[in-house]
Amino acid sequence: MGRPPERTGSQKTCLGIDTVTEDLEWYPVPEDDKGHPRVDAWSDLFFMPFSSFVRYVLPVLLALWQPGWSHADVVDQLGRRVVVPPHPQRVVALAPSITEIVYALDRGGRLVGVTRFSDFPLDAQSLAKVGSYIHLDLERIVALAPDLCIAVKDGNPKSVVGRLETFGIPVYAVNPMNLETVVGTISEVAVLLEAESEARVLVAELRRRIQAVRDKTTVTADRPKVFFQIGISPIVSVGSNTIIDELIVTAGGTNVTAGPVPYPRFSREQVIALAPDIIVITSMARGAQFETIKQEWAQWPDIPAVRRNRIHVVNSDIFDRASPRLVRALEKLSGLIHPQAAGGQPE
Amino acid sequence: MISHRSVPGKIVLTTLLLLGGLALALFLAVTWGATGNSFGAIREALRHGSDATGPQQTILWQIRLPRALLAAELGATLSLGGLVFQALLRNPLAEPYILGISGGAAVGAIVGIMFGLARYPGVTGLAFAASLAIMGLVLFLASGRRILRKDSLLLAGVMVNAFCSAVILFLISLSQDSRLHQIMFWLMGDLSLADMGQVGRLAVILAPCFIALFMLSHAMNLLTMGAETAQALGLRVKTVMVLLLLITSLMISATVAHCGLVGFVGLVMPHLLRLLIGPDHRVLVPACLFGGGAYLVLCDLTARVISQQGEMPVGVVTALIGAPVFIYLLRRSRH
Repeated sequence: MGRPPERTGSQKTCLGIDTVTEDLEWYPVPEDDKGHPRVDAWSDLFFMPFSSFVRYVLPVLLALWQPGWSHADVVDQLGRRVVVPPHPQRVVALAPSITEIVYALDRGGRLVGVTRFSDFPLDAQSLAKVGSYIHLDLERIVALAPDLCIAVKDGNPKSVVGRLETFGIPVYAVNPMNLETVVGTISEVAVLLEAESEARVLVAELRRRIQAVRDKTTVTADRPKVFFQIGISPIVSVGSNTIIDELIVTAGGTNVTAGPVPYPRFSREQVIALAPDIIVITSMARGAQFETIKQEWAQWPDIPAVRRNRIHVVNSDIFDRASPRLVRALEKLSGLIHPQAAGGQPE
Repeated sequence: MISHRSVPGKIVLTTLLLLGGLALALFLAVTWGATGNSFGAIREALRHGSDATGPQQTILWQIRLPRALLAAELGATLSLGGLVFQALLRNPLAEPYILGISGGAAVGAIVGIMFGLARYPGVTGLAFAASLAIMGLVLFLASGRRILRKDSLLLAGVMVNAFCSAVILFLISLSQDSRLHQIMFWLMGDLSLADMGQVGRLAVILAPCFIALFMLSHAMNLLTMGAETAQALGLRVKTVMVLLLLITSLMISATVAHCGLVGFVGLVMPHLLRLLIGPDHRVLVPACLFGGGAYLVLCDLTARVISQQGEMPVGVVTALIGAPVFIYLLRRSRH
C-alpha cells in the first residue's frame, strides 16, 4: 500500500519554470546562412524557435511536472482549504449521494470505499464499506489508504473529518442544499476527479430536465397541496429550506408543511386540518407496510387526498440523496402532482 | 488459594496477575480490529521503530492504541467506582451511576450535541460540568439534618437520576433526526473517536484518584462493617465518606464525559473479583483497577470485531455480557 504522497503545493510553478529559463543559453540558437543568429519575430518573441522548444524544453518541463508536485490547494464548499492530489485514484465517498455522483461522472473505478447504504448503482455494493455515513469507521477508512475522501456537511460528523485530516488524508466537504447546489456539487466533484467533460454533458442534461418540469408547471396555475411524509411513527414532514420542499414547489405543488422547522413532526389531527390534496410517503418502510399506512389514512375521508385516492409511495433513496437522481425524483413528483400535464409518466 | 498469604503478598500477586491480563488485553486490542489482524504491521513496527509508516501503522498507533487505552481507563474507573459505591452505601446493587452522575452527564452531553458543539471540549465539558452539578445537588439533598445517611443518599440519587431520564427523553423528542443517531451512540457508550490527547487528559485526572482510593482502601474495609462500628474503631466516617464521594464523582464524571454511558462494568467486575479474591479492599482496589481495565478492553475489542457493518458501541457489549453474568452471580451467591 502506498504511503500518502508528500504535499508540496507551493512548488508547482516556481520549480518547473525557473530551472528551465536559466539554462536557455545552452540550447542551440538557429543561424541564418551567414552564420549570424537568425533574428525574426518568432525568436524575438519566444527567445527560441518553437521547434527547439518542443525538442528540448518541453520534455524537461514535462519531466519536472511530476504528479506529486502539483497538489492543488482547493477550497471546499465549507470554505476549508484542502490539499487535493491532482489525480486521486483511491477515493472514499462518505455518503451514498457522493457515491452516486462519482458513478454518474463515470469515475466509479476510482472509488475504493463507500458507506453502508451506498446501494446505487449496483457496482457500488461490492465496494468496501466504511460504516454508515453518520457513524463512520475510522479504522476501515484508513485501512483503504485513500488519497481523497469526499464528505457531506449534513451527516458526516465533524470530529471524524478532523481525525482523518490529522492522518494526512484530505477530506473535501460538500454541502448541497438545493437543486442548484446539487448540480454545482456535481461540477465540483468532477474537477476533483478530472471528469469535467463528463460533468458538462451530465449537468446540461440535468438542467434540461429540470427546465422541462418547470415549463410543464407554468402551463397550469393549479398548485395542489402536498403533504410529504418522510416519517411514519411519529409522522414527520418537511419544512421550507429543504430539498424536498424545493422539489414540491418546482414540481408545481404547495408544501402544506412549509415552515422554519426543517423536519417538523405532526399529529393526525394536524394533518386532517391541513387538508392536503396529495399525500406522498417515502418508502422508508417498504411493501406491505405501505398498504397499512395507506389504510390508516383511509380512515379519514375528510382529507381530500384520501377521497380522491391520491396517496402515493415513492422511493426514499432518490428523494433523500443529493445526487443526480434527485432530478428523477423531481420528474416523478411532477407526474404525481400534475398527472394530466403532458409528459407526466408515473412509473 | 491466595487467602493464606500475607496482605502485601496478596496485593503484589493479584496486581501482577491482573496487570499481565491487562497487558495481554491491550496487545490483543491493538492487534485485532475491524480490518482484521495486523501481526505483519506489528512486526514491521518492532523492526523499524518509529520509522515505520503507512496506513497499517496509523491504524495501530493512532486509532487502535488510543482506543484500547481509553477503554482501559474507562473500565478501571467504572470498576473502582462500583467498588467504592458498594462499600459506601453497603448495597451490593450500587453502581457508579447510582448517584445521578450518568443522568447529569447525559443531559449535559445531549444539550451539547443538540447545539452542534464539537465533541471536545464542547460536549465533553458540558457533560462533565452537568454531572458534577447533579452530584452536588444529590449531596445537598441528602445532607440537611441527617448528613450523608446512606438511605437518603440513595433516594436522592435515584430520584435525581429518574428526573434526568425524563429530561433526556424530552430532549430526544425535541432533537432532529440527524442528531438523534449521534445522541443514541453517546448514550450507549462510544470509544471510536479516542485520540492520545484524550487519553492523556483523562489520565491526569484519574491517576491521583486511583492513588487516593488505594490509600483509602483500609477505610473502605472499615466502612463495610457499618458506620457506627467504623466510628467506634476510630475512623472519621464523615470525612472518609465525603472524600470517597468526591473522588469517585470526579473520576466517573470525567470518564463518562469522554466515553458516554457504559453500563454494568461497575456491577460485574467488583462482584466477580470479590468472589475470586475475597472482600479485602486493599487487594480489591488494584484488582479492580487492572481487571476492570482488561475487561473493558476486551469488551471493546469484541464490539469492534463482531460488527461487520461498522462499529458497535461498547456499552451494548458490556450490557449483553454484564447482565447475564450479574444474574448468575446473584443466583449463585444466594445458595
